[in-house]
Amino acid sequence: MAQSMATTANSPVGKPVRKSHPMLLFVLKRLVMLIPTVLIMSLLIFFIIQLPPGDYLTSYVAGLKSEGVVVDASVLANLEEQFGLDQPWYIQYFKWIVNILTKFDFGYSFDLGKRVWPIIADLLPMTLLVSLVTMLFQYLVSIPLGIYSAVKQYSVGDYVLTTIGFLGMAIPNFLFAILLMYFSFVWTGSAMIGLFSKEMLQNGVHWYNLGEFLTRLLIPVIVIGTSGMCGTLRAMRAQMLDELGRQYVLCARAKGVSERTIIYKYCLRAAINPTVSGLSGSLASIFSGSTISAIVMNLEIIGPTLYNALLAQDMYLAGTILLVMGVLIVVGTLLSDIALAWLDPRIRFSGRSE
Amino acid sequence: MPIIDIKDLCVNIQLDEGMLTPVQGVSFQIEAGQTMGLVGESGCGKSLTSKAILAINDKKCRQTGEILFETDKHEVVDINKLNPRGKEIRDIRGRQISMIFQEPMVAFSPMYTIGNQINECTRLHITKDKKQSKELTLEVMKKVGIANAEKRYDQFPHEFSGGMLQRALIAMALVCKPRLLIADEPTTALDVTIQAQILELMQELQKELNMAILFITHDLGTVAKMCDYVSVMYLGRVVESARACDVYKRPLHPYTQGLMGSVHKIGTLKQERLFSIEGTVPLALNLKPGCGFYDRCNQRIEGLCNVVDPELCDMGDGHCVACHRCKKEATVHE
Amino acid sequence: MSENLQTSPKLTRKQLKAKKKEESYYLASQWQLMAHKLAKHKLARFSMMILGILYFIALFGNFFAPSDLTSYDGSSKDMPPTAIHWITEDGRFVGPFVYGATMERDPKTYKKVFAEDKEKIYPIRFFTHGKSYQWLGLIESDLHLFGVDEGGKIFLFGTDSMGRDLFSRIILGSQVSLTIPFAGTFLSFILGLVLGSISGYFGGWIDNLIQRIIEVLNSLPSLPLWMALSAAIPAGIPPVQMYLLITVILSFIGWTGLARVVRGKFMSLKNEDYVMAARLAGVSDIKIIFKHLVPGFMSYLIVNLTLGIPSMIIGETSMSFLGLGIQAPATSWGVLLKDAQQIQNIANYPWRLLPLIFVVIAVLAFNFLGDGLRDAADPYK
Repeated sequence: MAQSMATTANSPVGKPVRKSHPMLLFVLKRLVMLIPTVLIMSLLIFFIIQLPPGDYLTSYVAGLKSEGVVVDASVLANLEEQFGLDQPWYIQYFKWIVNILTKFDFGYSFDLGKRVWPIIADLLPMTLLVSLVTMLFQYLVSIPLGIYSAVKQYSVGDYVLTTIGFLGMAIPNFLFAILLMYFSFVWTGSAMIGLFSKEMLQNGVHWYNLGEFLTRLLIPVIVIGTSGMCGTLRAMRAQMLDELGRQYVLCARAKGVSERTIIYKYCLRAAINPTVSGLSGSLASIFSGSTISAIVMNLEIIGPTLYNALLAQDMYLAGTILLVMGVLIVVGTLLSDIALAWLDPRIRFSGRSE
Repeated sequence: MPIIDIKDLCVNIQLDEGMLTPVQGVSFQIEAGQTMGLVGESGCGKSLTSKAILAINDKKCRQTGEILFETDKHEVVDINKLNPRGKEIRDIRGRQISMIFQEPMVAFSPMYTIGNQINECTRLHITKDKKQSKELTLEVMKKVGIANAEKRYDQFPHEFSGGMLQRALIAMALVCKPRLLIADEPTTALDVTIQAQILELMQELQKELNMAILFITHDLGTVAKMCDYVSVMYLGRVVESARACDVYKRPLHPYTQGLMGSVHKIGTLKQERLFSIEGTVPLALNLKPGCGFYDRCNQRIEGLCNVVDPELCDMGDGHCVACHRCKKEATVHE
Repeated sequence: MSENLQTSPKLTRKQLKAKKKEESYYLASQWQLMAHKLAKHKLARFSMMILGILYFIALFGNFFAPSDLTSYDGSSKDMPPTAIHWITEDGRFVGPFVYGATMERDPKTYKKVFAEDKEKIYPIRFFTHGKSYQWLGLIESDLHLFGVDEGGKIFLFGTDSMGRDLFSRIILGSQVSLTIPFAGTFLSFILGLVLGSISGYFGGWIDNLIQRIIEVLNSLPSLPLWMALSAAIPAGIPPVQMYLLITVILSFIGWTGLARVVRGKFMSLKNEDYVMAARLAGVSDIKIIFKHLVPGFMSYLIVNLTLGIPSMIIGETSMSFLGLGIQAPATSWGVLLKDAQQIQNIANYPWRLLPLIFVVIAVLAFNFLGDGLRDAADPYK
């Protein structure tokens, strides 16, 4: 009998499996695929950014004219040539991308009169801080609550959480911002606008005012993170319920495994997959949410700058901000794919996440 | 003393539409080294009965009656009285009573290696020592005929074929050398040649460990091959129970007769139609008194079968049947 | 099932009826089944009702709204919602009526204070004739659901800083806010269906390109992208064009998810036998796609679309809120909420937040409806 088994057993197993190899290959493959994505992205962004009729100079000149200032046509032509605004858009794009790749130069911000990169480099740390803290808040709150909601299905807590989940997804986050600011205005007398108080802007954030900075950070984080938190909560609950209903749960229970182990070792590990693969999506929605919330709450992050750049047709600045956001999200996707492959053996071996 | 003695086991589920009673008053016992076959169509409560023994039915299910189990320390516990989430029942599960599930493909979590999942049993019940537990796992994997066990130990379920997964599932059930093994249609998902191998394997291991087996199936051929005793279930009740050979030779209950008639035997004429029982098992919702088989029975007695519940009566030689017609005929003969 | 019917003649009529009902269940088409299950889903049914009411009001907006978009009342700026009374001071019952309003300035804060003039009683009249309008640009009418006699003022939701009736503006704004998501969804439906089908059916480099584009669009945060696109809309274009452009912008991102689903379905359906059979019979590719493949996952698409509507509602609201969407004189809920951007505004005139409630209700209702549809479309539940 043992012999007959040996023959059936041999076929599916070919060579010995080395674990590190497919993983490394997987990461490399994804890295290579990133290049065309980013290139197409930059092209698309540039195309959109140059879409508005006219350019910064024409709208600037129009603005001056309305104030009664006459601009010399030759000066104008000179400026146009200097910035290459007289060339077709694809030539401008080509120059832009070549400059980025060769000199790490993202162009010039007409409106702010500076090179683009230093402006962004100034805003990026705070933007990333807000985004990452929001993300952390989102996951740290939603995952445990999602598990609780699923494990205690149809309990009072579950109903409360489900209701909150629905409401949180339905309120646009900028309105949530207004509401929170309103209540903080009514209760504390300060609307908590901005991440820094006046005093912080002068002296910088130090240990002694760290506490205030963190409370000022709290409202934006809640505002931006709530809709995503609610989305993750709902997804997590549905996924956990799905996993809890599977046969392997019954099988594990029949083995004498405790409920705790079933939930955390088996179900959670499988249920967290969609959440992990949704990581880049949630980064994108955090950028979306933070842009509009930052405009409402006057936060010192990249959103309001983008808004002003778009209104002023400051194309290199707006384009670069969009590109930076896009690249960050692409990197996020890569990271989440790697995390997924690490989590789920099926993906690890088949080599692709879809 | 039987290893397990089930008395009047009922499983109820309260639904919006009313009370669902998929298992109503099942009793049987199994002794060490014996195999009891639990036979019936799908939906008759076999699986719920088997899960009730491990108290792993859904939270919504309420169990009544007694499930007396003799542990290896020769104490008798009533499983129905234990907290289904508690430590005591968890010590019995997997260690004293274990179960082989219907579909091996979904019985393993895809996230962990086969070795890890079998290993979990021994670490829970036998030894905390990692090395020793791995050795035990490898030993049982080899025993159930998984070639190249050391390598297979680190593989994931999706790398296994169906037959191999069923072997792994059996290995997982047997690794702690349980006193009672519940096999819930362990071969339905497999093709015929593998089926035979798996059944042989189970018999061999039974001899070696002297365990009791509760074998759940709707395949009468398998029952004939595997079982010492047979209980036929219909609509949550045992309608006939006897030694396997008796049931085959002389099925008493009209339902059993129907089941036997629907098995293809070598020697029947090609043109001859297989007998089939009309209709399907009704839903066990808000049941009326009377025999559950009444609607589909071709030998029913009006005014009796649809009014009075038939009781399980011994027709001699331990051959029990729950049927008014059989009882009547027996008294007439006397 | 039918066998059973023939062979058991002793069924009572009631049982027979139940059997027939059961049988009709088994024989029902996929759509009938979906409708049946949806009707059972209480929350979805309720949401459908709410949406029905909202859309009905939007459709006959000019009738339900007492005033139109252009009218304003300089003497009633920033007025709080008018209270409706049934019984006068001296205990007389006259049906619904409003008191006349007087405005004073607080001598200390110079804040405007509105008070009721208990002397003047203006009963609310129904089916009154007021400002004339053209219903759907077709029928001229001046019929309004309610109004008060000359001299009286009724502002159910208060007024804004220009003395415009918020109630009317919310209703008229819903004509934009509730239809743009639909139009946008429809457009992304077409885009997703066409591009997804092409991608999945033909494969090869075309598939590769479309997939890359989807990846790029998914990697860009939607709101900033929407903002960039709507910044490209030239100022001062007519409202209808504006409306169309906003719709196009919203569907610019919305189609990607759908296209992915369609592509995936195509990939798996392509190899099904019935498609192969159709191809062998000489049916053209286009015909195979739209006659055989698309109906196979239509229900799934509809669910997906319904669940996509809320984000479009929020998208339009956000853009209009930022001043990058619908522009005056046209209005939408987002435009109305622009007034609520300053804290002082909300603190002094909290009724300006009322449009928010409508946004939330619409989004919730579409969410619930989508959930119900999803459950109904799932054959395994």
